Amino acid sequence: MKENIKQASRNGALVGVILGFVILFGLTTTLSEILGDLFRLNSNSRTGNTGGLMLIFAIIALWAGSKAAAFDKSSWKTTLISGLMSGLALSVIISALTLLIGTLDAADVEMRDYLVQLNRQAIQFLLYGRSLWVGTLITFGILLVFSIGGGLLAFFLEDRKVGDLVYEKSLSLRDKVLEFTIIKSYQENPRSKWIGYGILLGIVFLFPLFLGRYWNYIMGTIGIYVLMGLGLNIVVGLAGLLDLGYVAFFAIGAYTAGLLTAPAPIPIQIGFWPVLILSIVLAAFAGILLGIPVLRMRGDYLAIVTLGFGEIIRVLIRSDMMTPYLGGPQGVRDIAGPSLFGLALDSERAYLYLIIFGILLTILFTNYLQNSRVGRAWMAMREDETVAQAMGINTLYYKLLAFATGAAFAGLGGALFAARNQYTGPADHTLMVSINVLCLLIVGGMGSVPGVIVGAFVLKGLPEILRELELYRLLVFGGLLVVMMIIRPEGIWPAPRRMMELHEDEGGGLTQAASLVGDEG
Amino acid sequence: MSILETRNVTKTFGGLTAVDDVSVQIPEGSIYSIIGPNGAGKTTLFNCITGFYPSDQGDILFQDKSLIGYSPDRVTKQGISRTYQNIRLFPAMTALENILVGAHPRLKSSWLDAILHTPRQRAEEKKALEKAQELLNFVGLKGKGDLLARNLPYGEQRRLEMARALANEPKIILLDEPTAGMNPNESRAMMRFIENLRDELGITILLIEHDMKVVMGISEFIYVLDFGQLIAKGPPEEIQKNPQVIESYLGRGAV
Repeated sequence: MKENIKQASRNGALVGVILGFVILFGLTTTLSEILGDLFRLNSNSRTGNTGGLMLIFAIIALWAGSKAAAFDKSSWKTTLISGLMSGLALSVIISALTLLIGTLDAADVEMRDYLVQLNRQAIQFLLYGRSLWVGTLITFGILLVFSIGGGLLAFFLEDRKVGDLVYEKSLSLRDKVLEFTIIKSYQENPRSKWIGYGILLGIVFLFPLFLGRYWNYIMGTIGIYVLMGLGLNIVVGLAGLLDLGYVAFFAIGAYTAGLLTAPAPIPIQIGFWPVLILSIVLAAFAGILLGIPVLRMRGDYLAIVTLGFGEIIRVLIRSDMMTPYLGGPQGVRDIAGPSLFGLALDSERAYLYLIIFGILLTILFTNYLQNSRVGRAWMAMREDETVAQAMGINTLYYKLLAFATGAAFAGLGGALFAARNQYTGPADHTLMVSINVLCLLIVGGMGSVPGVIVGAFVLKGLPEILRELELYRLLVFGGLLVVMMIIRPEGIWPAPRRMMELHEDEGGGLTQAASLVGDEG
Repeated sequence: MSILETRNVTKTFGGLTAVDDVSVQIPEGSIYSIIGPNGAGKTTLFNCITGFYPSDQGDILFQDKSLIGYSPDRVTKQGISRTYQNIRLFPAMTALENILVGAHPRLKSSWLDAILHTPRQRAEEKKALEKAQELLNFVGLKGKGDLLARNLPYGEQRRLEMARALANEPKIILLDEPTAGMNPNESRAMMRFIENLRDELGITILLIEHDMKVVMGISEFIYVLDFGQLIAKGPPEEIQKNPQVIESYLGRGAV
């Protein structure tokens, strides 16, 4: 019992400290606006949406209470006490904070000097537009009551009674759905896999028609990151070569496309399609050039050298020396786009289709490579380079091949990127691009093609969706990434093999994953 | 006629001479052993033969062709396979994939074949998979092809490593302590397995071994190394009686 109380109050205090920081950053203000709009709560023009704030406090207290009660759910009394203790700790901390802020504000201390978000209006908002003591008391009450409620809730949801019920219902529902003749005949059809692919393909080719200009542009950006992710997936995910200078190949692709189709700084103008091929070839060639000096390096050393290579390319682009040839900091303008059968492909939608086509092609190539002698050689190298060589694999050749293939995909992405924007400059090719692509691999799941796609959507799409949060966009985004990596270290959609690696103790997953791998082979 | 021969091979690391002027001859279709106390240079000799270490002096001949200057992958391509003292599989690849990697030198399709998914490549893959399956059955791992190598029990990992070495269709196989960590029953099974390799597949075998029961029971001829030097050679009966061998194993004064 004593232990129980200690745990619960510690838990509540922890949530209190975090919530306190969130208040100090002013994140609660923005969140309450969004929540308030969502639930159409009373909005007061003077103080803002205080109903939203109450809702946030209530949800957090509920969650903290149920968490605190999770230590011991033997009787409703213990969970009640846990909820109470957690609520007390939480509400004391937050009330003390609001009291402190309110008192300082009343004493005319300008707190904005220290915390940008804490202006007079925000403080009024925190007190629901009421007096200092009343506002604090409301907060105290909400936090305490809902924390106790959370504790009780945890008891009644014990043994996942509700969860089991939902699960059983969903199972019987699934069985009913499966009895439909269409679905049955679909499942029994040996070609059902292909029908599924066909439907997926149809969706992929139809969805740009329903999107506006802006979202087509965003989707295009995500698509280019998918292309790069697929390339880096071969280098890092399959061959195990940590490449931090990946943006260099993207830049080479973009600049090849730019310089050879724009009127300046080099007065050569060739059609888009041959230039596209040339971009891919040149990027692959650069991949080999980078590969040669780093052939004998492994792990961390390789990462540092490739990092340097990426920076060299960026600095060269910016340098005065290369300005007459590469356009310097101003970049390359008026890059020509493609045309097909005399029809100029210049809308965002047309580019999106082009990018989708490129992605489908690279996915096909990646799949074929992965399940071939070449892919196995790469994986063997990743696992144990010394033994791979002893198995008759020419590791030097396969490393260069991995670099060249990855670079070729990035080159394609770069060329499409430059043509779509009709511009490319040094700002497009910073280290952040390499880091982002590596991140999307890790978030999505290393070595998995669907993982790359999901990762690109999360990493490039989520910040767009989070625009509602304005100032806090990247803060929340960063927080989400941290949380995700803790909860799911293998990525959102990992390759079946990786899933086995990290969850070996789960027997069911093992056989299931084994059968998945069997399908691949 | 010897299939593998070392002539006066020497390998030094700094001031230490790990292999000192060692000459061995392995006839085709035989089972030969190399024994010696820990640190005698047995594994180093293996590493010199497989091209992992360049030898400082001497010559290594495989089917009367010198292997000096060959990288490990080229040595393997000639038809020399090996296993490791501490098992070194590709842990996060499945058993079947491990064997397929072993078959790498015997497959021909290039990256272009793979990308274009040519009929030739598909036919080759299918055949390779069938062969890998056969090997899997041969070493008694039927039905375990889709398990990750690291999830197999120890004894099965040993056998998988053997199957991987066999996938290269070797003419000679170098086994580094194949019965290490095995109980007497498992050791006997491994001995029969090794004899089978020679009798059924016609593969020449050179093994490093510490278990004297295995060495004496299986070998036709034994080389004894101590401090990098060859101190004795001969058939098992002779080696068992050789005072120098007994001394190096049991210490001076034991005779």
